[in-house]
Amino acid sequence: MSTLADLSMTEAAAAVASGQATSLDLLNACWANLDKANARVNATIWLDREGAEAAARAADLAVSQKKPLGPLHGVPMAHKDMYYQAGKLSTCGSALRRDFRPTVTATVIARMAAAGAYTFGGLNMAEFAQNPTGHNKTFGDCHNPWNLPYITGGSSSGSGAAVAARMTYAALGSDTGGSIRLPAAACGVTGIKPTQTRVSRFGVMPLSFSHDNVGPLTRTARDCARIMTVIAGHDANDPTSAREPVPDYEAELDGDLRGLRIGLPTNFFFDDTDAPVREAVMLAVATLKARGAEVIELALPLMGHIAAYGSIVSRVEAATIHAQWMRDDPQAYGQHISSRMYPGYAIPAPYYIESLSRRGPILRAFAAEVFDKVDVLISPTIRTVLPTLAETDIDHGPPGTEHRFMSVSSATRPYNYLGLPAVSVPCGLDPNGCPIGLQIAGRPFAEARVLKIADAYQRDTDWHTRRPPVLA
Amino acid sequence: MDDSPTETEAAIHRWFGIDAPNAPGRRMAADLALTIKAFEALRGTIVFEDEPAGFEAALQATKETQP
Repeated sequence: MSTLADLSMTEAAAAVASGQATSLDLLNACWANLDKANARVNATIWLDREGAEAAARAADLAVSQKKPLGPLHGVPMAHKDMYYQAGKLSTCGSALRRDFRPTVTATVIARMAAAGAYTFGGLNMAEFAQNPTGHNKTFGDCHNPWNLPYITGGSSSGSGAAVAARMTYAALGSDTGGSIRLPAAACGVTGIKPTQTRVSRFGVMPLSFSHDNVGPLTRTARDCARIMTVIAGHDANDPTSAREPVPDYEAELDGDLRGLRIGLPTNFFFDDTDAPVREAVMLAVATLKARGAEVIELALPLMGHIAAYGSIVSRVEAATIHAQWMRDDPQAYGQHISSRMYPGYAIPAPYYIESLSRRGPILRAFAAEVFDKVDVLISPTIRTVLPTLAETDIDHGPPGTEHRFMSVSSATRPYNYLGLPAVSVPCGLDPNGCPIGLQIAGRPFAEARVLKIADAYQRDTDWHTRRPPVLA
Repeated sequence: MDDSPTETEAAIHRWFGIDAPNAPGRRMAADLALTIKAFEALRGTIVFEDEPAGFEAALQATKETQP
């Protein structure tokens, strides 16, 4: 049965603006699904029902008084619990920050609030955003709404699960090695990792300052486009944010793919891909081709370098940020977190510097060879059918579990080192009933193009509108 | 795995005062040799005329100009 909670975020905003629904109606629709499914999915860390209802009433009052409304007016949202709001809890998914209340508010939260959205909760996440699966020792593992024993993807596990289970209309995630795209793929929603520097990171928990990105998870590419228009752009509080002008991403969504050159990698991205995943991706490519896109197979350069250098950068930066806690209270971390950080302390500094200093030249070489031939690259977001939480549980599994665990993010990590924008859209279901994701990546600052392709695909398919069984 | 600290574990302790947090941590520290090997295998395989170069400049130089 379709309900208010089944509306996309842009449809929900339109319903409030037109008076067809109140913001309180939307919020109650989210509560209903939280009450119905969250005990099994475990998508949240905290909820602020009282504050949210006050915000909803204020939003409805503004509508009744015919005040100017922002593009997200009256839309309730919850975000990965690492977006700081001054004075409010922000656990970062860890026992070490169980009671942390920051003194600043993240720029992206402030920008979304200025556009009319309000926050009703903090969503489950991998501890300190450090796993691709959704395991969490302190707050409990997040479960896939499509098949509960299976991973949600991580680290924005609650964001993917809550959007899929209609508990929120949108959620911010963060992406250092795939942490927006992986839960988007695993939970059957849409998520975009923007170009490095495109979105401010002020007031957001850091993990790897070279690879961290902020972006939305929603049900549709149009929803992502609207949020990107709100949150992208330079921020004086984050000197690393780009001064690149921000287009109206939503205005670019016209479904026209004529003349588009889609690159289909013949190396790396399809290596060891499971058959159901490959078939779903190739069907998606055929759908895009039918809209006028040209498909070009090509070998990608430097993938070994990108993987090796990217791994060094992420490991050293995460280890550096966590050194004090690793010294003082290492047992507060889940085993899979501390064990992965630990080797980072033995990586020689010249290796790290070399990895960083080659990032620019490698991007130039990659772009020259690839983007002269094609406009975007398409691949699976996750190469395999989804594993279960048990199959990827390093803390309790046998030696070797870490290899299955790390393989989850093998197709997403390269774009963090390259800094390229990449979106994941749902494109099928695997034999276990879990979603399959299609990854579309483009040049730096090509968010408009990758979202346009994602939107065009969603005009011809219905994977993004399907409801997970947990809501049955 | 032997209980005595490996060379890598001893170095981490000496440099950072951090000890192996658990058995998987020790295994992954042992696996670091593979990471180093992969890194060293790249040595000399690519040469760039513009090293060192800024990543932000590369983002600008290679960016999308026509959506």
